[in-house]
Amino acid sequence: MEQQLIQDSLQKKFQNELILFDETSDILTFTVRKQSIVEVIQFLKEVLGFQFLTDLCGIHYPEQELALGVVYHLHNFQTNTRIRVKTFTSIEKPQIDTLTNLFSSANWMERETFDFFGIDFVGHPNLIRILNVEYLDYFPMRKEYPLEDQTRKDKDDRFFGR
Amino acid sequence: MEHLGKEHILVRPEDYDKNFSTLNLGPTHPATHGIFQNILTMNGETIVDTEQTIGYIHRAFEKLAERRAFYQITTLTDRMNYCSSPINNVGWQTTVEKLLGVQTSKRIDYMRIIIMELARISDHLICNSVIGVDSGALTGFVYVFQEREKIYEIYEEICGARLTTNLGRIGGFERDFTPSVIKKIKEFIVNLPKVIKQFEKLLLRNRIFMDRTINVGGISAERALNYGFSGPCLRAAGVDYDVRVMSPYSSYNDFDFTIPVGTNGDTYDRFCVRQEEIWQSIKLVKNALENLPEGSYHMEVPEFYLPAKEEVYSKMESLIWHFKIVMGEVEVPVGEVYHSVEGGNGELGFYLVSDGGRTPYRLHFRRPCFIYYQAFPEMVKGSFLSDAILTMSSMNVIAGELDA
Repeated sequence: MEQQLIQDSLQKKFQNELILFDETSDILTFTVRKQSIVEVIQFLKEVLGFQFLTDLCGIHYPEQELALGVVYHLHNFQTNTRIRVKTFTSIEKPQIDTLTNLFSSANWMERETFDFFGIDFVGHPNLIRILNVEYLDYFPMRKEYPLEDQTRKDKDDRFFGR
Repeated sequence: MEHLGKEHILVRPEDYDKNFSTLNLGPTHPATHGIFQNILTMNGETIVDTEQTIGYIHRAFEKLAERRAFYQITTLTDRMNYCSSPINNVGWQTTVEKLLGVQTSKRIDYMRIIIMELARISDHLICNSVIGVDSGALTGFVYVFQEREKIYEIYEEICGARLTTNLGRIGGFERDFTPSVIKKIKEFIVNLPKVIKQFEKLLLRNRIFMDRTINVGGISAERALNYGFSGPCLRAAGVDYDVRVMSPYSSYNDFDFTIPVGTNGDTYDRFCVRQEEIWQSIKLVKNALENLPEGSYHMEVPEFYLPAKEEVYSKMESLIWHFKIVMGEVEVPVGEVYHSVEGGNGELGFYLVSDGGRTPYRLHFRRPCFIYYQAFPEMVKGSFLSDAILTMSSMNVIAGELDA
């Protein structure tokens, strides 16, 4: 399917909900306001034929106002097109609607995203930690949690990247 | 967040008067072939409900990757699906090459195809022979383990390691295939069909095996797609999705091979699909080896390809590049890519976000068995415990890939 075609039909249906299309990415990428993420993905699934939720993951940009994001990758097998949808939410109230009603596969992927980023998927049937222990009191993939113990004085990693 | 952390109720109040029992399968149980737990609610011998607990070998690869340079992440990918680590290695390297815009030569592509298909053969051999073990046929397992050993010897010859291979580099391979590697691969390809035929004779039309696997743990194509199945499990359900064909990488489009498809999506179909994929892989390795072009085994990407150690000691330029790569002084393009390869279990995806720093800003691994293992309760509901174990082994759930 032509990228332009997808872009046009999305813009026609969700004029105000789409924030921007990213032309520089490897595949068609766009950002959606979080209120309408389920509607947009439902439209992509049911009308444009993106039947396969390839991937769902979180991302954290601490300097942004809407710091936490969820990235969805969808795949249309008929036309062999991939699409990337992003949505962002504030870190104070990180709530995004769940996709579990559309894709059963979203269940664990959303649990994983909750586990690592603390994104609260509203309407998820069983939103508990999946890979980490239940009593963990932070969300380890957020950027403010450093990989190494910051109290250590015996190591100087200034020269080795982050 | 009051709706969070709802307790999963295994025995519902209306079922209290029934004589359900709870059975712990795992975390360390011989039948799970890995560290993950299944809590089964049983009604006699029949499964009523299943609750899965995973994460026992979670190693936070995604967080670790945020502090590692690109060339150091290959070693993390080894430890995901450790039955076919070269596929993971090449998957990561091709992802970085996609970000950097590096076009590899045909020789490198074909070398990669050879090594990836060998890895696929070893992955499928183990999975299929373990289905045999779980249904009571240990012989086949011992037969094909010999062949897996030969594949590991080939890995060893190429990169020096057997299980966690760290094979290849960004932009090619760390060294060329030696004549002895070529000889070993040729010998292996000649001898393997005999063993596979024997193995198939043992199980494929075996009455007991067929009775144990047909219509066990089946899933429809529609449900499989909804659950995000990929790889042999999806193809067994009748969807002909293969990343090697749909989004060809590493010059797979140069080769002619068939994608086997099943009909029922049950354990037997998964077995057959994997078995046929082994035959296709043999064909691919043979073709790639015959058509292997001459040339260099790595591309000229001095910013990312570590120079040979002898040169670092003797040549100024190599020393500079070595220093730059190790100290993180090279320029990385800003951007984001999603790249996937056909792993042993399905679409192994890498979502890489780069902000121009030395390390990835965010790296997410799409691990196929993490995504499709969540369908397990639906697949085994109402079946017997022994069938559930067969279903699990035919899904080829690898704990390393499950937990990442």
